[in-house]
Formats: sequence, C-alpha cells, structure tokens
Amino acid sequence: MKNTAVKIATILLMITLLFGCLDGRELSELEIVVGIGIDSADDPDSIKLTAQVVNVSQLGLSGSGGDPDSKPYWNAATTGTTIFEAIRQITHKTGNRLFVPHCEVVIYSKDVAKQGLYKHLDFFLRAIEMRLTSFILIAEGKAGEVLDAKPQTEELPAVNIYNLVKSYGFTSHLYDVTLKEFSSRLISEATAPVAPLIKVVQEGENKDVQVMGLAVFKEDKMIDELNMDETRGLLWVINEVKSGVLIVPTPEESGVAVFEIETAKGKVKPEITDDGKIIMHIDIKLQANLSEQTTAEKLARPEIFEKLQDNMSEVVVQEIMSAYEKSSKTGSDIFGFGDMIHKKYNKKWHEQLEEDWEEIYKTIEFDIKVDSKITKTNLLKNPVTQKLGG
Amino acid sequence: MNERMNVERGKINVTQLFFCVTGFVEGSVLLVNFAVDMTKSQTWMAVLASIAVAIPVIYSYVALATRFPGLNVIQINDIVYGPILGKLISLYYIFFFALTFSFNNRDIGELYKIFIMPDAPMIFFLAAFAVTCAYAVHKGLEPLARVSHIIVAISFTVMLLIFLLLIDIMDFSNFLPLFDVPLISFIHSVHVITAIPFCESIAFLMIFGSLDKTEKAAKYVIWGLISGGFILLNVAVRNTAVLGNTETIWTSTSFESTRLIDIGTVLTRMDLWVGVIQTILIFFKASLLLYALATSVAQILGLKSYLPILLPLTAIEVILSATVYQSPVDHAMTTQNAGIFYSTPLLYFTPAITLLIAVIRKLPKSKRRKRS
Repeated sequence: MKNTAVKIATILLMITLLFGCLDGRELSELEIVVGIGIDSADDPDSIKLTAQVVNVSQLGLSGSGGDPDSKPYWNAATTGTTIFEAIRQITHKTGNRLFVPHCEVVIYSKDVAKQGLYKHLDFFLRAIEMRLTSFILIAEGKAGEVLDAKPQTEELPAVNIYNLVKSYGFTSHLYDVTLKEFSSRLISEATAPVAPLIKVVQEGENKDVQVMGLAVFKEDKMIDELNMDETRGLLWVINEVKSGVLIVPTPEESGVAVFEIETAKGKVKPEITDDGKIIMHIDIKLQANLSEQTTAEKLARPEIFEKLQDNMSEVVVQEIMSAYEKSSKTGSDIFGFGDMIHKKYNKKWHEQLEEDWEEIYKTIEFDIKVDSKITKTNLLKNPVTQKLGG
Repeated sequence: MNERMNVERGKINVTQLFFCVTGFVEGSVLLVNFAVDMTKSQTWMAVLASIAVAIPVIYSYVALATRFPGLNVIQINDIVYGPILGKLISLYYIFFFALTFSFNNRDIGELYKIFIMPDAPMIFFLAAFAVTCAYAVHKGLEPLARVSHIIVAISFTVMLLIFLLLIDIMDFSNFLPLFDVPLISFIHSVHVITAIPFCESIAFLMIFGSLDKTEKAAKYVIWGLISGGFILLNVAVRNTAVLGNTETIWTSTSFESTRLIDIGTVLTRMDLWVGVIQTILIFFKASLLLYALATSVAQILGLKSYLPILLPLTAIEVILSATVYQSPVDHAMTTQNAGIFYSTPLLYFTPAITLLIAVIRKLPKSKRRKRS
C-alpha cells in the first residue's frame, strides 16, 4: 500500500515536469520583436502597428556575403482598432505569434500622441511578455519610417534607437523615458509625462535617425516640445544630467570655452511662504573639465576660472528657466514640482493647491544656486595659439 | 476519548519552531500586494503596525499551548469545552485550515498561470502543488521542521539580493507624504496583514503539542513572527521605493519591481527568482497548513494516524482550490473583505477565550499528564 502510494506520487511528480511543454515555444517558431511603431491609420478609429521582427537567418550576414537585398529585420505592419488586435492580426502575415520580451522601443507617431496615448499604452503595461524597461519615443513623422531607417553600424534599426536613447548621457539633450517612468508620470496628479522625440534625417541616399528634445504631454495628450537646451534645463532639476557639453563665452568674449560636464547633482526643495508664495529652491552642483577653447587667451588662471565658473552657472540657470518658461505656457509641470510640494505640504496641497495646480504652476518663483567647479584642463595648461593672442 | 493520544509522535525543538514560524510568515509575502490597494505607499507602516497587533494575539496561541503541553488544539477544545461543543469549535478550526490551504494552493496556481506558464491549465499546478505538499506532510512534521532552516536561509538571501540589485533605482521620497491614507483604509490594511501572514499561524496550535520544550515556545514564536515580519517589511519597502505611485496598478508588485532589475543590460529578467522563492515559501506554508488540516481531521475522527486521510483530503483541497475563486480579482476582493467575517472570530478571539475559560476552570486539572 505504502509502496503503491509512493509510486503514484512519484509518477505524478514526474508528470509535473511535462507542464513546461504546454507553454513551450520553439526558437524557429518565434517572431522576435525588437521594436514596435504605432501610427494613425486611414480609418480614424484604427491604428497602424509596425512590428520589427528579427530575420534571424540574415543576422550577421549583411556585408559579408549575404543577400544584399535581404534585411536582418522585417517590419510587419497591420491595422487594428486596438494594439492587441493589431498584434494578433499580424499573425495573418507571420504565421506565428509575436514574441515581445525583447521589444526595446515603443514608438508613437506625433499625431497618435496628440490624440492621446492612454488607450495605446495599456497593452504594453499589461502584457506579461513586455518589459517596463522598454523605451517610449515620439516620432516626428511616421513611426513605421523611423523603424525602417537602417543604421550604418547596427543591423537592427530598433536596437540602434535603443542604443541612441540609452546613451543620452553624452549630451543630456534627451532623456531615457521607460514605460515605467511614463506611466508613473501619467498616474501622478501633477507631473506631466515626457518622451524623447525621434526623426528621420536624410543624409544623401542614407536615412539616419536622430533623437533629441522631448515631447511634453498634458495627461496623455502631447501638447508641446522641448528643444535640446530646454530638455537639459529639465534634466538639471530632476538630477538626470549625466554628462554633456557646456559652451560658455570667455571673459573677454574673444571666443568660447567648451566644458565637458563631469558630474552634476540637482536638488530641489519646495517652500510655501507665509503669504502663500511658492518658491522652488534649486541647488545644482556641477563639475566640468575644460575640453576645448576657441580663443588664444590663457584660460587656466584662477581669476579666469572664477569668471568662467560664473558664466557656466549662468548657462545652467538660463537652461532651467527656458524649460520652465516653455512648460509654464501650457501649465505642464514637467519637473514634478507639484508632487514635491504634495510630499512636503500634504495638507496645503489637498486644501489649496491640487485643484488649481495648472494655474499655480505658472506663478512659481525660483531661487537657483549653481555651484560650478572646473576640475581639470585635460592635457593642455596653455593653448597652442597663446602667442597669437599676445 | 482520544484527548490523550496525539496523532503526531515526532518531536521538534524550539529552534526549528523559530524557523518554521519565520518561513510560515514569509509564505504570505505575496499578500503585501493586497494591502497596497488600501495603504499605497504607507504599506510599510501597516506591516509594522500589524507586527505590533499580532504579537499579543499570537502570544495567546502560545499561552494556550503552553498551558496544555503535548496536546493539540483539537484535544484542548475537548478538555475545555467538553466533547460536543469542543468538537463544534474544532470544526471551525478545520474549516479554517481547509479554506486557508486551498487559498494558498490557489495563490500558487495563479502565480504560475499569470506569470510563468500562461497557457497551461491551472488545475495542473493546483494538483501538482497539492500532491507535493501531501508528500512533504506524508513524511511527517520532523522532516518539514528540519528543512525550515534551509528555506528561510534561501529566501532571506534571495530577498536581500533582489533588494540590493534594486537599490540603485529606489526613490525613498516615494514614501512621502506620510499619513496620506484614510484611517479606515489603514485599519483595514492592518487587519488583513495581521490576519493572514501572522495570525494564520494559528495552524501551529496543531504543532505546538509536538515541541520537546513547550514552555520555551513563546520567545521563539514571537521572534519567528518578528523576523518573518521583517521580510514582509523589506518587500513592502522595496516595492514602494521602486514602483512609487504605479504600485497600485500591478497584479503583483513584487514581480513588477524585480522585472525592473537591469544591471548593465546583462543582469536582467530576474523575476523568475521571485517565482522560485514564492513557490518554495508557499510550499512550506501550505505544507504546514495541510499538516494541520490532516492531523486535526484525524484527531477529531479518533484515528491513530493522519496518513490514511491525507490523500483524500488533498484531492478535496485540489477541487476546492480550483473552484474557490473565479479570477485573481475575485481572490483579492475576498481576501480583502470576506476574510473579516469568516476568520476574524477564530484568529483573534477563539484561542484567547479558550485560554480564559481554561484559566477560570483551572484546567488542565491534573499535573500528572504525560507529554505523549
């Protein structure tokens, strides 16, 4: 009796090993998607979905004996009234379900973004295979075209776009907005969602893509754009500047000094004064290297450094204020000041500010302190053209 | 009467009891998710408050067991309330053990169905898991207690590792503003966390009788509860710090936060670890619950061993867990709301009242009782 029970239990346990086969998907049957683009369709109630599917057999062959007309990817497009419907419609072309865990980027065209993203976002958050770390972008033109701009050094356009966004820190002229970051801003009562802008640039016969600037949303609808400097103005405040180039006039204004941002730290403290004014105390600490100069002056002198540091701070303040002024025109709190105030002044937020935040946002005052330091001049202590300057 | 004959003859020591309680409390780590709906970013406070509320309640369980060393709660009920009323109250315990095991089995089914193998029928998971628990229970209490050290050590290590891997993206301002949750929601959340992870350890009233030194149990149980609570606190803090205001939208906050691990684009997709750990922890908790169910049914039926009824009970439990909820939404709603009605009297009051009556009636009458 005991032995029989053990045998039955053993058989049942061994059967459990087969459960994995129920969800088994063979590699040859996978349509691995690396990027998804969403455009508006001819029918206003539908969207056009482009899925960039990896052509595994062509991967690694381009330029080395493979068929020159064959691409290592296939942009499978279809229309549907919802994202999920469109994704399933694609099976009419692919024969297999799309496999999306490796989807690195989700790109919406600007016209879709202007109509509102919520209804086209839910699927990506809900689907078990999707990752919250995928980037979200807004295409100037068609999202499908962006996904078809074959880069020179990368085989898959979507992976190229992912790398471009991932390396935003080199300039801090865009921001890597993930699905998680976007949905967090969308849920917030005050903070406006943002997403990097991408466009196709025609370079001779080649099409390249360029990512710079940010799209600004009110709730889920795109309403405005930030240029590169305004974008960095936002990043200073939310402590997301990684590196970048600061071009600063020299004290004698005979040229410019070019700095590489080495480290940047941004801190914000909100204050509501007794008379009800809202002041944001912004404290930026910045360290930079002198990377280039276009003047023959010897800049590596303490008194010149002082002036250059002041000029650098001035540039940072200008960038922050230009971002604020742009966003205050539409009342879009891109910095998340509302949430900061909510966290510190919970009662006042609910009683006095929450309802009219959009208008109150336009009246915020600033106290910006930038502590800039030049830490090195790299390999030169004097410019090679010093004698030209006398 | 069978009040002197315990169906379990194995003995466990107090250190094993400590790890058993810790592992048992950790087994409800998925539950933090239900509390988030009510207390949002203040869930960590609700966990702390629940530990404080649970300590006296659980102390009442230990005090009852210590008063009747070597006996399980079914035997104690017979002594305190008499054979008829005692059996009726024991049925309430059995009803609770049966339902709680089915809920835990269902938790595993939903975990696999939603996150790991969406295409496989859930009944396979329910059956496989229940049979695995039955196998563990079949081996007896001692082997289960012996693996408790390993289970707690593995879960603690993995939870700590996940916490460290996520520390880079944690934003501790997500906990602000403090006290932004209505008091009633906070109390509701504290109740759910107190009742499920902590007070479900009422199942140990079937285990305390097997302790080699019952009189020392209190200290080890309370420390087990606190260390298990610490893991729940770690999970609540981690999920809020990582997910912020999105915390309330996800089906499983632990899965979503772990899915965000991205160390150099190499160390990613760690969510399977959450699945593995949840499976191990719920296996441990569910096995103890199944053990409590099997021994309590055997005890009330006057059987010498619980083994003959183990597989039939497991089969009933599989069917119960397959039909108990229609969907995870149903599951969450029932856990958050219905639990108040069916489990609260048992968890918060019944052992305490039993203890009180025992004290008033000066039970147990004879000190000559041998610990069987």
